[in-house]
Amino acid sequence: MSGLFNMHGPRWLLIITVVLASALVFGSAAEAGADTGKSDRIVSLGGSVTEIIYALGAGSRVIARDTTSSFPPEAEKLPDVGYLRALSPEGVLSVSPGLIIAEEGAGPPETIDVLRNAKLPYFEIPESYDRAGIVSKILAVGDAINEAEKARVLANALDASLGAAQARAEARGIEHRKRVLFILSTQNDRILASGTGTAAAGIIALAGGDNAVTSFEGYKPLTDEAIIAAAPDVILMMDRGGDHGAANGELLAMPAVTLTPAGKSGAVVRMDGLYLLGFGPRTADAVNDLSAALYGG
Amino acid sequence: MLRAESIKVAFGRKLVLRSVDFAAAPGHLTAIVGPNGSGKTTLLRALTGEVGHSGTVTLDGSDIARMKGWELAARRAVLPQSAVLAFPFTVIEVVRMGLSGGTSGGDKSVPGAALRRVGMTGYTDRLYQELSGGEQQRVQLARVLAQVWHPVWQGRARWLLLDEPVASLDIAHQLLVMGIARDFANSGGGVVAVMHDLNLTAMFADAVAVMADGQIIAQGPMAQVMTDDTLSRAYGCGLRVGLPPAAGSTFVLPHTARPIHEMKPEFTAVDPAHSGTPC
Amino acid sequence: MVAFPDSAIETIGRDRDIVARRTRLLLITVLAATCIFSLAFGAAGTSLWGALYKLANGQTLSDMERIVLWDIRAPRTLMGAFVGASLAVAGAVMQGLFRNPLADPGLVGVGAGAGLGAICAIVLGALLPAAFINLFGNWLVSAAAFLGGWGSTLLLYRVATRSGRTSVATMLLAGIALGALAGALSGLLVYMADDRQLRDLTFWGLGSLAGATWAKLFVAVPLILLSICAAGFLGRGLNAMALGEATAHHIGIPVQRLKTVAVMTVAASTGAAVAVAGGIGFVGIVVPHLLRLATGPDHRMLLPNAALLGASLLIGADVIARVVIAPAELPIGIVTAVLGAPVFLWILLRRRGLVDL
Repeated sequence: MSGLFNMHGPRWLLIITVVLASALVFGSAAEAGADTGKSDRIVSLGGSVTEIIYALGAGSRVIARDTTSSFPPEAEKLPDVGYLRALSPEGVLSVSPGLIIAEEGAGPPETIDVLRNAKLPYFEIPESYDRAGIVSKILAVGDAINEAEKARVLANALDASLGAAQARAEARGIEHRKRVLFILSTQNDRILASGTGTAAAGIIALAGGDNAVTSFEGYKPLTDEAIIAAAPDVILMMDRGGDHGAANGELLAMPAVTLTPAGKSGAVVRMDGLYLLGFGPRTADAVNDLSAALYGG
Repeated sequence: MLRAESIKVAFGRKLVLRSVDFAAAPGHLTAIVGPNGSGKTTLLRALTGEVGHSGTVTLDGSDIARMKGWELAARRAVLPQSAVLAFPFTVIEVVRMGLSGGTSGGDKSVPGAALRRVGMTGYTDRLYQELSGGEQQRVQLARVLAQVWHPVWQGRARWLLLDEPVASLDIAHQLLVMGIARDFANSGGGVVAVMHDLNLTAMFADAVAVMADGQIIAQGPMAQVMTDDTLSRAYGCGLRVGLPPAAGSTFVLPHTARPIHEMKPEFTAVDPAHSGTPC
Repeated sequence: MVAFPDSAIETIGRDRDIVARRTRLLLITVLAATCIFSLAFGAAGTSLWGALYKLANGQTLSDMERIVLWDIRAPRTLMGAFVGASLAVAGAVMQGLFRNPLADPGLVGVGAGAGLGAICAIVLGALLPAAFINLFGNWLVSAAAFLGGWGSTLLLYRVATRSGRTSVATMLLAGIALGALAGALSGLLVYMADDRQLRDLTFWGLGSLAGATWAKLFVAVPLILLSICAAGFLGRGLNAMALGEATAHHIGIPVQRLKTVAVMTVAASTGAAVAVAGGIGFVGIVVPHLLRLATGPDHRMLLPNAALLGASLLIGADVIARVVIAPAELPIGIVTAVLGAPVFLWILLRRRGLVDL
């Protein structure tokens, strides 16, 4: 082994260790103290949570938001603490939050641990893409920001409106239901479509449509033949701005799409992403809009 | 004594060495000659343990296969045929690498002296890659010399194993390098050199092994081995030893060059910019 | 015709050593400065000096100060230092071993293996029994990345080792094959992933020190430190390897042991670094290359200097990553690539003649 050793090794290691250890001592000198929470300084993480807070009239209490919170427009003016699933603990703490409300799935877990350790009130709002899910989401946010009464009113109104939509859909009868294909993107002429268990599947069901693809969960690329087999009556997409005429033209020109009923009739519906898939206070409106787009009036 | 017994080496199915016996004595310069592909370099690589082989190689009676790398390094140094270098080391850094392998590790004057020995004083801080092929070859020789600086150490001969040490050198440097090998042997060390140039071999070697087709066809003192018959058989063309060309034809033999030190004092500081004509 | 005294030759020859030693002192200073910088700056306005002043006067720190300085910035800074050091040293060792200035730990399959491990954990993690997930908690991705990196290196090493001799060339080729296989499996898992998992994968691939915690430090640092220490003893051997494997052996270097130690330490330290910080590129190539230009290729100097510069560089990149778009932050891999790639190109252009050295 002696051949491998040289005399320089240990000394520089010692130096590095000393430097790093001194950095460590810097930190370790810190001691615990206590800060009182200020619940009028809300950090809202997740597009639908932010929408609900604004809908409950507590928008002025929100001081920061995440990247997915793009509605209402006032929210966009607030500091952005980063993407919902890649938050940095110091970024969130830097805005001196008094209360953190996060959509389910906010992360990474290490950041959430630090935030919880900071003894800040931290609420995680559960998510599910159906009528009951929206109601419990609104109630949970209401509890968190101490606006339970307003939340109950909003939740009841939404529930009623969704219930009416559902009743209308049932009244329409199975034979009239339309098959809807939700397309997330058409990158490189490959269609990324929604299967089951997604927000898109949820909203299609609420609007009284049938999801055209039920063979897989989540968003996956579809082959041309699968698109033909899915035989959608309507294609649903997110509105990303830009020239829809050209984008729709491109989509409808794809060989597989031309063979579907939607392709033949040119039935493409575009709606704003957060509006359509957010499952927040605007969802009843979104359901009605989508229903109107599918079935008219 | 460096001794190899019934060495066989196969590359795939091809037998490159077929049961070779070889011996070299300290104090001697032993040359291995033979045509291309006769197995000269493979034999040297077997002697250094670089290629897998059957049979045994012993150095003063001990099997080199059982010796540790650093034990071997202290007793023999190897000059490869072509030496690549991966990173931009300077000349002195390359020579020092040899120093750290041998037992003269503590003696910091050795690398400088080794460079001076190969006529490369003044090149110490040049980048190795910026040198010409011949200069690189001499730097490698200096590195090898630094590793076994004293030809005899603790009463035992040390060894230089050289693979075509003069291949890329001009005639002046061929004489210089062969002179160094000769001196090493004269001082009690052992030298084994794979050689292409039969004249230089004849001029500097004590003993010769002639190889052909993976075998040694003759081995022994110069005069016994360097014969018309043996060489013609090995190289496959009619060679005649000791016969001058017809009168009037031009020829230059290393034998008739005047000794190098008569022209160039050993302790000259060579200016790298004007190093084109060291002679 | 003046005689050149030996001592003069020695002095000339030691020049690069002296530069390297001075560089080391400079780098130690720079590292100390970046450490302080990293503790002092961040999205939160918390002042390091304010906190130190409080401590000096026997006052207690506020919760905010304690959390920001102690729970967030301190582990982040240390993690940056160790990950940066480990990536730079691993790069230098790989380059020495493969005798190629463009080699990196990816060549021994650490990157591909660790990536596959991480993707498995992110995508398939949800399918594991709940008890298992609870056992690992936040560690699942890190543990899987480490095991993936380490496992693939061991596999490569076995493939490339015949009767006690490891062929570096075989390792390189097998590494390419293994990389392709890992890429295909990763692709399969990406296909199975939902869109959230895809975002997670993207962010993992870009690396971040945001997940640095004391607990992770305590696990990763011993591995990294041990590997860097082991690498510290490879300097002379790697120098000799520059002359080729055979010559290194003739000089007395235990070449096989050198290869084993080099591969294992690189796998362990890179595996640990990638596991806690994700994929961070360019440090392993740019740092050793810069140092080679500044102080020469002698690995006895290069390895410690690379550790110091790598540590400083990553801490610096992390400070930029978390300050530039605060309160949000950039993935650190973006910062290192944005800083590293132009520097690298500039070096190549400026030193065109020496690129193939």
